[in-house]
Amino acid sequence: MANKYSWPEKPALLGTSVKRLDGPDKVTGRAKYTYDINRPGMLYGKMVRSPLPHARVVSIDLSAAEKAPGVKAVLAHVAVGAQVMYQGDPVAAVAADTEERALDAARMIRVRYEALPHFANVEQAMATDAPAVFPGGNTRQGATEETGDLVAGFAKAAHIVEATYATHVITHVCLETHGCVCEWDGDKLTAWISTQAVIQSAQQFAQALGIPQANVHTIMQYMGGGFGSKFGPDSQGIICAKLAKLAKAPVKLMLDRKEEHLDTGNRPSATAHIRAGITADGMLTAFDGQSWGTGGAGATSGFPLPYIYNFPTRKRTHKDVYINAGQQRAMRAPGHPQGCFLTEILMDELADTIKMDPVAFRVKNLPPAAPNAMWAEYFARGAKAFGWDKRHATGDPTPGPIKTGMGVSAHRWGGAGQGSQAHVDIMSDGGIVVKCGTQDIGTGTRTIVGMVAAETFGLPLSAIKVEIGDSLLPFSGGSGGSTTAASAMPAIRVTSVDALEALFAKVAPALGTAPENLVAEGGRIFIKGTPAKGLSWKDACKLIGTEPISVNGKWAQGLSGSGTSGVQFAEASVDIETGIVRVTRILAIQDCGLIVDKLTAESQAYGGVIAAINFALFEDRILDRVTGQMVNPNMEMYLLAGMSDVPKIDIMLNNMPERGVIGIGEPPTVSTASAIANAVRNATGATIRSLPLHPHKVLAALEQEKAGGTN
Amino acid sequence: MKAFSYVNPSSEKEAVAALKTDGIAMVIGGGQDLLARMKDYIDSPDRLVNVKGLDATMTSTPDGGMKIGSAVKIIDLFEHAQVAKLYPSVNAAAIEVGTPQIRNQGTVGGNVNQRPRCWYFRNEEFVCFKKGGSRCFAVNGENQYHAIFGNEGPSHIVHPSSLAVPFMAYGAKFRVLGPNGEREIAAADYFTMPTLQNVLKENVLDDEDILTHVILPAPGIVKSGHYEVRYKASHDWPLAFSTVVLTMSGNTISSARVVLGAVAPIPWRSKAAEAFLAGKPLNEATAAAAGEAAVSEAKPMSGNAYKVQIAKTAVKRAIMNAAGLNTV
Ligand SMILES: Cc1cc2nc3c(=O)[nH]c(=O)nc-3n(C[C@H](O)[C@H](O)[C@H](O)COP(=O)(O)OP(=O)(O)OC[C@H]3O[C@@H](n4cnc5c(N)ncnc54)[C@H](O)[C@@H]3O)c2cc1C
Ligand code: SF4
Repeated sequence: MANKYSWPEKPALLGTSVKRLDGPDKVTGRAKYTYDINRPGMLYGKMVRSPLPHARVVSIDLSAAEKAPGVKAVLAHVAVGAQVMYQGDPVAAVAADTEERALDAARMIRVRYEALPHFANVEQAMATDAPAVFPGGNTRQGATEETGDLVAGFAKAAHIVEATYATHVITHVCLETHGCVCEWDGDKLTAWISTQAVIQSAQQFAQALGIPQANVHTIMQYMGGGFGSKFGPDSQGIICAKLAKLAKAPVKLMLDRKEEHLDTGNRPSATAHIRAGITADGMLTAFDGQSWGTGGAGATSGFPLPYIYNFPTRKRTHKDVYINAGQQRAMRAPGHPQGCFLTEILMDELADTIKMDPVAFRVKNLPPAAPNAMWAEYFARGAKAFGWDKRHATGDPTPGPIKTGMGVSAHRWGGAGQGSQAHVDIMSDGGIVVKCGTQDIGTGTRTIVGMVAAETFGLPLSAIKVEIGDSLLPFSGGSGGSTTAASAMPAIRVTSVDALEALFAKVAPALGTAPENLVAEGGRIFIKGTPAKGLSWKDACKLIGTEPISVNGKWAQGLSGSGTSGVQFAEASVDIETGIVRVTRILAIQDCGLIVDKLTAESQAYGGVIAAINFALFEDRILDRVTGQMVNPNMEMYLLAGMSDVPKIDIMLNNMPERGVIGIGEPPTVSTASAIANAVRNATGATIRSLPLHPHKVLAALEQEKAGGTN
Repeated sequence: MKAFSYVNPSSEKEAVAALKTDGIAMVIGGGQDLLARMKDYIDSPDRLVNVKGLDATMTSTPDGGMKIGSAVKIIDLFEHAQVAKLYPSVNAAAIEVGTPQIRNQGTVGGNVNQRPRCWYFRNEEFVCFKKGGSRCFAVNGENQYHAIFGNEGPSHIVHPSSLAVPFMAYGAKFRVLGPNGEREIAAADYFTMPTLQNVLKENVLDDEDILTHVILPAPGIVKSGHYEVRYKASHDWPLAFSTVVLTMSGNTISSARVVLGAVAPIPWRSKAAEAFLAGKPLNEATAAAAGEAAVSEAKPMSGNAYKVQIAKTAVKRAIMNAAGLNTV
């Protein structure tokens, strides 16, 4: 039901491509990231971390560090006798007057360890003779999910595919590392922190430090990426605050790249042994999957399986396996890239058993179409746009070493809004300030907050001053689960509409009409239907008087939605003499409800696709199988795509204004790796059932294929 | 990193003299390798001796070859017309090194003398043979990027220098200056296979030696080709690569130099491929067979057998490049 808050039917700004408000500040360096914050008398913090994957701390000697030049505070983070559970587990910290001295002093802290048995990978942890490393067991078996009669399902199958599929551990690799600057004033703490959750960070500081939340002020104006790994101060934030308290001076503690890889989260691995059945005419009949994965030391590793497609009978068990490595954290669409990959590679193998086109096969086995399940339409639109009709059957017949192929994959995501609050001031000089305690984690939130207000007031974006990223602002949730836009935009809309109504009430008498007859459009307030009878925005605001219009509001039902769907197509070429895969084209079709800023929405899709190319081809957290220590904790040997590794990417957004705002941060990263792997399979005829698609796997799969099939 | 002193010598002799100290002195060129090692606490020299101010010219020699100063930047080496004309494979190797930033900063001397990229070597936690320890972590560990030739140990690195491979293929000599004067060393004798005695180094340089020049002989009537197999298009290391220099009589190869990179602790000359090529016509079939010959004696480790296929392809395609044939 339309009401006064409903999104405009003919928007002036919403759905158009609007450049980021803070683009110029970012490219000129005016934008201050946490890393750029410097306070008078500020010290630098540095942590000491366990080099071993599992050990008991035998002694910690801080004395040399305490005496080192420039050192103002030293602390032990763990007690003697405590266990460290992974390489990078925090042990102690120092603060000194320069970064270099802090680093030198940190290296003077002498920690003695007694090494304990550890697991560097799931095979070691799952071995029958594995030592007990984790209290309560090295693995945790989850509940069995079961639907329908599996035996009957397999009985109906004309073909059965049985294989093991796997994805690996990758880390978030935020360009800006984790960290903060902490400054105390008595028992009040101000923290500039690189976070996806500015208000929740204040709460967590307060809890961990035993001070009232009202005493904590957190600020995050600009951030270089979080991807799910930055929802609070973490150990480094709390340590930074403690060092600042001890030293009686502000402290900056930003992690280095190695610490990022070791201790700020990762995407858990996923492996599944799957049996699946299909009828001769291409209907799925049964799915039986046993999966496991590791989220590191004592953390979970769940993911949806099977993904999307309709297996009428199915059974699935999952086991968390603990290894001595940093704990997982939410990472862009947690669980979905894994479940998607394991299912989508299987789908192509199933389609091939009856020589059916992968798109036709998928469409046949989709759940019913719905606003949050648009796959059938997207498969059709995408196939046309991508030139799917030119796809050859599995195995490129072209002579020569370069084989090209196409692949496809589908995904879904939730996203939903709730709970955000906002505040709008309209001043008598026409100025507008919009405040909301949400944060722009690089996604464009600052810009779309301004756009929604500008749309409502009938003004250009430049007329709006946006204030976000500060815990003193009206409540808004953390930016995770693609919920930011769907939470904050309704709050901005509601508050702006209410503020405009208050303005109309002041303006109506001057125009000799009732407030409900007024509209704000094109920089003017006028009587609906008679644009001549009105005032410019500036003149209208002169009627406000001394007390500005000042309105609070909050998220309301009906302006946001939940549930998105997407399909992606990939084209890749494979050099079968070297095993090198090059992705040549990606088409991403995605909906996210009402599109606020087309440009930043597309930008999320580009970013998601590029991140997933990394997942498909390059990234890999490699722990030495013997010592359990990471061999590639940098950005050289931990491979990441450069510009020349990024293919042509086309984005097709499906605007669905009737569904309200739904987020887009996560879904576009789900399908890409699966589509690429399927393209590689289509190119070569060789099936690679695990990521990354490293040349060693491609060559091995080609060898197997030559030797008569990959099963 | 540890604090250090910095010496800026104005001559080769001063540079050599500055290397004499009670502490640890090291030569610094572009610093692309050394500074990273210092930041990662792999090396902690007390003194750095800057050699960027030394000879950075590329000049013709009387016999029709070229003399390249070790302070020449990789990008300048790439852009030099005479180098490109006489030694196209040097040119081809130079442009693939690292990234534009690395090529703009890195020097010929630094590239040839850079230390291994083995990830155990580059991470402080692992005290392996090359850091004075008593084991090689790669043997039972993560060795997908390690050697497939020359795997007798104790170290199983692949030599990191891209330029060293074409230098060796063209028969370069390295001019070295030390406290006892200068000497010229053939590229083939410059790089050393690891032994328990010399595993801390990859070449014959002593602590107070500097490399001053790379001297390339006149190439003669040759066809040369260079091919690198890279996973990422930039900011990465080759998985394997090869330079071939073929002395031709008509369309017949009379003799050949086949050198492989990223496959062994030194730039790896394949005598088997060279022997095979002598007397063969230059065509695709010859290239493919020479690739096979080049890897016939490969001894991969537990996790890098795939590199044998890649090395084979690199040799084949380097020869096809030399023949002017399309490689893919
Ligand atoms: C991501 C990445 C990718 C890379 N890819 C490649 C690649 O594909 N191919 C490749 O070849 N390299 C590659 N490199 C390495 C880079 O090319 C080298 O680090 C660089 O060429 C070193 O040159 P430099 O002048 O900066 O050396 P420096 O760091 O200054 O010196 C390197 C070493 O050589 C010694 N040295 C320097 N000059 C002399 C001299 N005149 N006499 C004696 N000793 C000397 C120094 O003491 C030091 O130990 C890559 C590096 C990175 C980070
Ligand atoms: S290959 Fe060499 S550098 Fe690497 S771990 Fe072994 S000994 Fe050390």
